[in-house]
Amino acid sequence: MSTTITASGPLTRWRTIDLLTCAFLGVAFGVAYWAWGLAYEAPSTAVSAMFPPLSALFAWPWLVAGIVGMLIIRRPGAAVFTELLAAVVSALIGTQWGLTTLVSGLLQGLGVELGFALFGYAVYSWAPLLVGGFLGGAFEAVYEWYSYWTDWGFGYKITYLLLLGGSVAIFGSLLAVGLTKLLANAGALSAFPPGQEARERAAV
Amino acid sequence: MTGTGPIASSGEPPAPPAPPAPGCSGSRVEVAGLSWRPYGRARPVLDELDLTIAAGERVLLAGPSGSGKSTLLRALAGLLLTADSGELSGEVTLDGEHGHRAGAVGLVLQDPGAGVVASTIGRDVAFGLENVGLPRGVMPARVAAALSEVGLDLPPDASPLTLSGGEAQRLALAGALVMEPRLLLLDEPTAMLDAATAAGVREVVADLVERRRLTLVVVEHRLDGWIDLVDRLVVLDLDGCIVADGPPDDVLADHADSLVQQGIWVPGAPEPQPVDVALSPAPQAAGGIVAPGQAVVAGTGLGVERRSRRLGSTSRSTTAVADVDLDVVAGQVTALTGPSGAGKTTLMAAIGGLLAPTTGRVAMAAPLTPAGDGNSSDGSGSRQGVTGRARRGPRRPAVDRSRPPHEWSSVDLARVVAWVPQRAATAVVGRTVRDDVLTTARALGHDGTDAETRADELLATLGLTRLAGTDPRHLSGGEQRRLAVASAIAHGPALVLADEPTVGQDRLTWAAVMGTLEAARREGAGVLVTTHDPGVVSRADRQVTLRRPPQPPPDPEPERRPLLARVGPLALLAAALCVLPLPALLGTWRQGLVVLGVELTLGLIGLIAPGPGRRPQGRLRGVLARLAPAAVAVAGVAWSAWLLGGRDLEIAAGAALRVLCLIVPSAFVVGFIDPERLGDHLAQRLRLPARPVVAATAALQRLQSFDDLWTELMTTRRVRGIRADRGLVRRGAEAVAVTGGLLVGALGQAAGLALAMDARGFAEAHRRSWAGSAPWRLPDSLAVLAGLVVIGAAVAAQSLVG
Repeated sequence: MSTTITASGPLTRWRTIDLLTCAFLGVAFGVAYWAWGLAYEAPSTAVSAMFPPLSALFAWPWLVAGIVGMLIIRRPGAAVFTELLAAVVSALIGTQWGLTTLVSGLLQGLGVELGFALFGYAVYSWAPLLVGGFLGGAFEAVYEWYSYWTDWGFGYKITYLLLLGGSVAIFGSLLAVGLTKLLANAGALSAFPPGQEARERAAV
Repeated sequence: MTGTGPIASSGEPPAPPAPPAPGCSGSRVEVAGLSWRPYGRARPVLDELDLTIAAGERVLLAGPSGSGKSTLLRALAGLLLTADSGELSGEVTLDGEHGHRAGAVGLVLQDPGAGVVASTIGRDVAFGLENVGLPRGVMPARVAAALSEVGLDLPPDASPLTLSGGEAQRLALAGALVMEPRLLLLDEPTAMLDAATAAGVREVVADLVERRRLTLVVVEHRLDGWIDLVDRLVVLDLDGCIVADGPPDDVLADHADSLVQQGIWVPGAPEPQPVDVALSPAPQAAGGIVAPGQAVVAGTGLGVERRSRRLGSTSRSTTAVADVDLDVVAGQVTALTGPSGAGKTTLMAAIGGLLAPTTGRVAMAAPLTPAGDGNSSDGSGSRQGVTGRARRGPRRPAVDRSRPPHEWSSVDLARVVAWVPQRAATAVVGRTVRDDVLTTARALGHDGTDAETRADELLATLGLTRLAGTDPRHLSGGEQRRLAVASAIAHGPALVLADEPTVGQDRLTWAAVMGTLEAARREGAGVLVTTHDPGVVSRADRQVTLRRPPQPPPDPEPERRPLLARVGPLALLAAALCVLPLPALLGTWRQGLVVLGVELTLGLIGLIAPGPGRRPQGRLRGVLARLAPAAVAVAGVAWSAWLLGGRDLEIAAGAALRVLCLIVPSAFVVGFIDPERLGDHLAQRLRLPARPVVAATAALQRLQSFDDLWTELMTTRRVRGIRADRGLVRRGAEAVAVTGGLLVGALGQAAGLALAMDARGFAEAHRRSWAGSAPWRLPDSLAVLAGLVVIGAAVAAQSLVG
């Protein structure tokens, strides 16, 4: 990602394909989130037995939708829209957290969004990914302190926040960048900046 | 193949003609110096193109695959930059103007159903009217008029998902017509339809173009039928330039031969000859083990029930196939025909072990079963092999002892069975074209030079050699189709299944596909083809015709609706989210238990279904199913609290109940939230931005198609021999790969839908109206009140219960 191409036209003017791509990504990730919810419990409970905050290491995949949406669309609101819709879909199919998943989705999307907003929606490299990923994880952690981990001490809570923020920033960003590359190379992003970047690289 | 609508897919007469709309007439179109080069392509797709179309003129646009016909059509609609990016120059004007009002240009795409945006056909037709902000009150009349003009005689609340291909194209036409277009653009509207259905759609188009005096531009590479309907034929070449233009008869007289050579179906031209695909034998091929004339596979009494799921409504079961016997015979091509919705695709999947039949059995010939040693150990399989006839009634199956093929491992199945799905794009599994062809041979361990020689021969005869190193996802539709058949037969399977392999193909791809299937037949494979194509049927050794299976009659007595079903989606959402403050309010396990009791009581009241009618089934079961995963989550939280809380059971129980209280209300309401109605409420009551809400609800309508796509991708991997049957890491890697494929498919759908929506004025629909109302009624208030009661109970418990 040496040359960053930003979205065409005014950034706040979403094209139909921007909206639909976010929406379809959201729905697809929603299904994946639901499936990950089923797979997640066993390993996360297992590591919790050793040290409860370690369960954060299995929670980072839930933030990938927002990061991918932002990396592809590159417009304000992309992370919140994609992440929130993914949460809605997983909740409507039926996750263990019910409709409270919506709150998680909103907070996670806002955190990621903030990371890219801090760079003026002009940079789509590691700096906003690390900041946004960490903030998304941190927002979610604070919500979970309040709703699930009410009995934890402050040390555990901070450890959980750092682990979740850090794993989203690193693993979440890696997976999101990988998926975006995969989609760009498959020719599925021709209407979007990452697709144009891939084609520019191939053209050289 | 899911059409179950009450109307047969072909032959229904169009509705009686309506009087011409006053002031309705076609546009004059002028294209001047139009060039378009998508980023990443060396040469422009359209190059300095000039074209003038008079008002009311009917133009057929023809040309070989890749000549930019569809691109030109998108340019006329002003939608080139909707789903692609590139360099655009030159200009397109309508009646001398650059822009046009929303809906002045109607566009119908090739893939039936690609442009569906709503959950009922009435709402789907109203979509364009919503975009221009028409008041809700006038919509039903205009929608009904458009539906009757295209002869779609279904109630407005029918689901678009159950339409046949022909009905879906009529729906798309109605969605364009309701906007009073002056220019109608049709992008291969009949390519995916069988001949009779296509004729029906053409009749509707001819009728309405005549009545409304529209300007018409049709893109097609099958000219027969359309040629009588147009007064001008324009031919593009591979450089995106116009090479012929004039009255159809004149153009055909001068250019028929070159059109035929370019693969265009010209009326009166002789049938194409299948390509002669001469191949070296595949190493250790399964094809040819069963003697010609003997059955490769025998299906007896096959029946398949399908369940369709949709968010916010109960799942429905339909009979896709009922009590069918079918043999596929070695060295023969069997054509499976029948109307759309007859279950051809499903039967094919059942006979090949791609899905488990609900009733009946499938028996592969003994030498092919995984237990067999490939040399017909006791000969019973071949002696008792059934003859090549489909017949009904009981009889001895050819083989008794083996497991049915749908239980076989991926490699065992791949050795014997090959499958060419209808959507060739989902059949891609390799990184390069050559990789893709060799995938199954490698999975079977036949990766010597023999396999490679055969693969290269296949690529050469199918004209794919120069693309051998290319990523197969970048191929054109026709190239992908040829690759799919090549990959299917490369390892010499004994049973080749091809699902509508010639639909939408030009003559060149048609000849390549048929030649490949005939090569498999010569090698002794049993070939089963579902088709509507008379050219395929006439070359088959026998034809089996399926009829639409009888469906269970709809229940005469409607189900009673539970109280929760009478609440609007927004109120349900609010009620379930009311509980968010609970973790802060609940201190002890006793308080949690009180609140949980209140929640359960209110939830159970919500499930009561008073009034007349049939008792609804499975209400409580749905709630429990949704709570099952929650039980694990609750246990996890309890465990962690127990560990930290000095192994105190009371603390653990308190933590568990706190989480449970947060989740239980959702388990009751989630099943009653309809996404489309939620969209109506979010946009009209909460005033959320209209376009994102519409995009989200349109995507939610496609949830079922994601499910289907996932199944198709996994089935492809299984039948190609690369499905991860065991091992956590391999299955994880597979899930990632298939998710990638799913996302690619999802984004492809998004691009198609974006075109269809923008063609109906969605791009500028910042102030739109809504065909669905979003009322707030007494049950809504009561539901929110119930949520508040829970909070009240928590506050009361705080002071009353320790």
